[in-house]
Amino acid sequence: MRKAALALFLGFLSFSLLYPLSRVLLLGAGPGFFAALGDTYYFERLLWSLEYGALSSLAVLLLALPTALGLRYAFAGRALWVALSGVPFVLPTIVVAAGFLALLGPQGVLGVNLVGTPFLLVWAAVFYNYGFAARILHGLLAKSGEELEAAARTLGAGPLRAFYRVTLPALLPGLFAAGGLTFLYTFASFGVPLILGGYRYATLEVEIYRLLAYELDFEGASALILWQIVVLSLVSLGYLFASRRLAGELGYGGLRPLRKEKAFLLGALYWAGLILLLLPLFALFFASLKTPEGLGLGNYLRLFAEEKSYFAPGLGPALKNTLRFSFLALLLAAPAGLFYALAAWRGSVLTEVLGLLPLMVSPVSLGVGYLLAYPRLQASAFLLVLAYATLAYPLFARAVIPALRGIGEEVIQAAATLGAPPWRRLFRVELPLIRPALFSGAALAFGSAAGEFGATLLLVRPEWATLSVAIYERLGKPGLANYGEAMAMSVVLLVLVAGVFYLFAKGAELG
Amino acid sequence: MKRILWLAIGLLALFPLAGAEELRVLTHSSFSLSKELIARFEKETGIQLRFIEGGSAGETLNKAILTKNAPIADVLVGVDNTFLSRALEAGIFEAYVSPEVRNLRSETILDPTLHAIPVDFGYVAINYDRDYFKDRPLPKTFGDLATPEYARLLVVENPATSSPGLAFLLATVAAFGEDGYLDFWARLRDGGVQVAKGWSEAYFAAFTRYGGDRPLVVSYTTSPAAEVYYSEGKYQEPPTGNLLFPKSAFFQVEFVGILKGSKHQAAARRFVDWLLSKEVQEDIPLNMWVFPARRDAKLPEVFKFAEIPQEPAKIPPETIARNRDRWIRAWTDVVLKGKDPKDVR
Repeated sequence: MRKAALALFLGFLSFSLLYPLSRVLLLGAGPGFFAALGDTYYFERLLWSLEYGALSSLAVLLLALPTALGLRYAFAGRALWVALSGVPFVLPTIVVAAGFLALLGPQGVLGVNLVGTPFLLVWAAVFYNYGFAARILHGLLAKSGEELEAAARTLGAGPLRAFYRVTLPALLPGLFAAGGLTFLYTFASFGVPLILGGYRYATLEVEIYRLLAYELDFEGASALILWQIVVLSLVSLGYLFASRRLAGELGYGGLRPLRKEKAFLLGALYWAGLILLLLPLFALFFASLKTPEGLGLGNYLRLFAEEKSYFAPGLGPALKNTLRFSFLALLLAAPAGLFYALAAWRGSVLTEVLGLLPLMVSPVSLGVGYLLAYPRLQASAFLLVLAYATLAYPLFARAVIPALRGIGEEVIQAAATLGAPPWRRLFRVELPLIRPALFSGAALAFGSAAGEFGATLLLVRPEWATLSVAIYERLGKPGLANYGEAMAMSVVLLVLVAGVFYLFAKGAELG
Repeated sequence: MKRILWLAIGLLALFPLAGAEELRVLTHSSFSLSKELIARFEKETGIQLRFIEGGSAGETLNKAILTKNAPIADVLVGVDNTFLSRALEAGIFEAYVSPEVRNLRSETILDPTLHAIPVDFGYVAINYDRDYFKDRPLPKTFGDLATPEYARLLVVENPATSSPGLAFLLATVAAFGEDGYLDFWARLRDGGVQVAKGWSEAYFAAFTRYGGDRPLVVSYTTSPAAEVYYSEGKYQEPPTGNLLFPKSAFFQVEFVGILKGSKHQAAARRFVDWLLSKEVQEDIPLNMWVFPARRDAKLPEVFKFAEIPQEPAKIPPETIARNRDRWIRAWTDVVLKGKDPKDVR
């Protein structure tokens, strides 16, 4: 059965990723490669993308490390804090960009315009990655750091010495993993630098999009994609290596008690920090309610009102498109992810790396690859859904694989001894056992498709405009009305994604 | 399980069957016509018009090219002469010899094969705020603009993202030549010229008339007339004027074309004829602030304030096609990245 799953998965992967990617790489390695290499403007895009990734990783780690150390102590609402700090990670990029515009844009709540500064971009990276970085580090601390540190202290090491000699080395793989992931996500980020970075702080990904959308330059775009992929694959391999040392469940060991005042102070610090972190979201809600006549629902009502122009896609159609394509993407991503999970479950490293390939390919490059490889399918719904599914299935698989690994060997063997053929066993034994993981994987896949932005911009047809596209179009138009509508629509998308996660979580409970 | 089934049925309800027949018109974001005219066309012909916005003029065209196997529209309105060759080379248009073509100004017909049919034309030029220059001298030559005195008063649009921005860049190429235009831009840059992303950002945010600090802005020769029109009686004379030096204004023509592969060829032809009809052509000026391509279209009264330059910059579409990307890249290097023109050439 594993072989069949692997074959099916490879079939999917070849069509959805390997072939388009090879077309891009072939074109990118052609004469365009040297032309791009000699162009200082592109080269500076590469340098800035690297710098942006490195700066962001550093900022995230500097904040996440002390956070993780503090998380070992009990404070009021700690569990909720941990859950909320992970929220930004699953938010659609366009929503985050809109949130930062609402906070620090030209019409921002704070009254300072930081659009077009690297400061804002790094802040956005921290917003995205801080929560999960703190979680990885804390999980590692809870797993191994505790006893070792205690032992070191008993053996007479001072607190600082124990930290440097014992705790920090134990954290090293976590630092690499969290830093590496942050680097991957920011180096190739698209929506945030596109909307907040201006021309000076455009990443390679933004430049690839511009080369294609504005100049229709497949050769130049492919050359830049090639550069990007080289960097992404080197870093992802490093990440994989680091994360294999993290393998297994991260611990959620016992909490250290604190005296009342101290626990109160710690809690206050953490909650204040979280509010600061989520500030862009509060600003987004506020901006969506702000109208020239004062606070109110005007922006939302206009979204429902009859189309005032022939142009900007309204909320109704955009919402419908988003749901429709995300649903179709899920129909494709779930089996693809499942086949991959079944193949990689007890498979080789190679299988695992293969399945994580989409992580090394950015959404915009995937879009470019599709346009290049399947000219006959250009502007077809199939390509759009395929792109969503390709970007979403690793998320699905990564939720499912640990659950599969958690199934006891004896259960499966028992089923086999009782004469159940593999496929029957899959539906009667394995899948029911991992149902919660299936639901959370589905939520992740659906949520990622619903918020997808980069590939959508390249592959969408006007009549299929999704919420992300409708928001982006409004942000590009002058006037407070469009701005307000963009903010309101971002809130709708935010609520949609949150709702999906809630529903799927409920589904996992009820079944 | 039942719950999931219902959910699936609910989601499947999101897939409606095909709707009524309609003609899809792909345009850029500044396209506009009177609603009454559109409604009348729909009523008289039974053709439903659906306007699709593709972004800036360049983006819109690229979308049409990228989707030529499954056209996202039946008609494309708004390709201009700076992008004309790209459209023709990509072969996205069906030729159509509209009976109305003989009524069009001959200088607007830049594609004799009539794959791209002219709809309107205009001139990109520098506007100045009369109030600001009441007691101050205006620049006397095109080159004067780049002196520190004037460069810090000017806002231009980025040619990579804006079509008037590109038109103005082309005007500087026409006026100062391949050897001189980058030096002109380097001096503008050193003098403190401001670069806006698009026309509305430059005009409605940076221009002194709308609360900005720049009394010189790259806009259209029709903008002063628009100021009078929209002031609703407040101004009898335009509060802004055109700075027209030789070759400082760029001649811009916009075209319509029927997209290959459209299943509504007959309806598309009717639409093109309608777009070139006297009635619609006379509706264009006050909606888009450009001149109608039709010779016998009467201009509205307020267009007496819209000047036609004596000596506009004209560059053949093929030359533009060959050099456009290089010029934009060089411009970006010099103006945005601060490079020396010598290193860019």
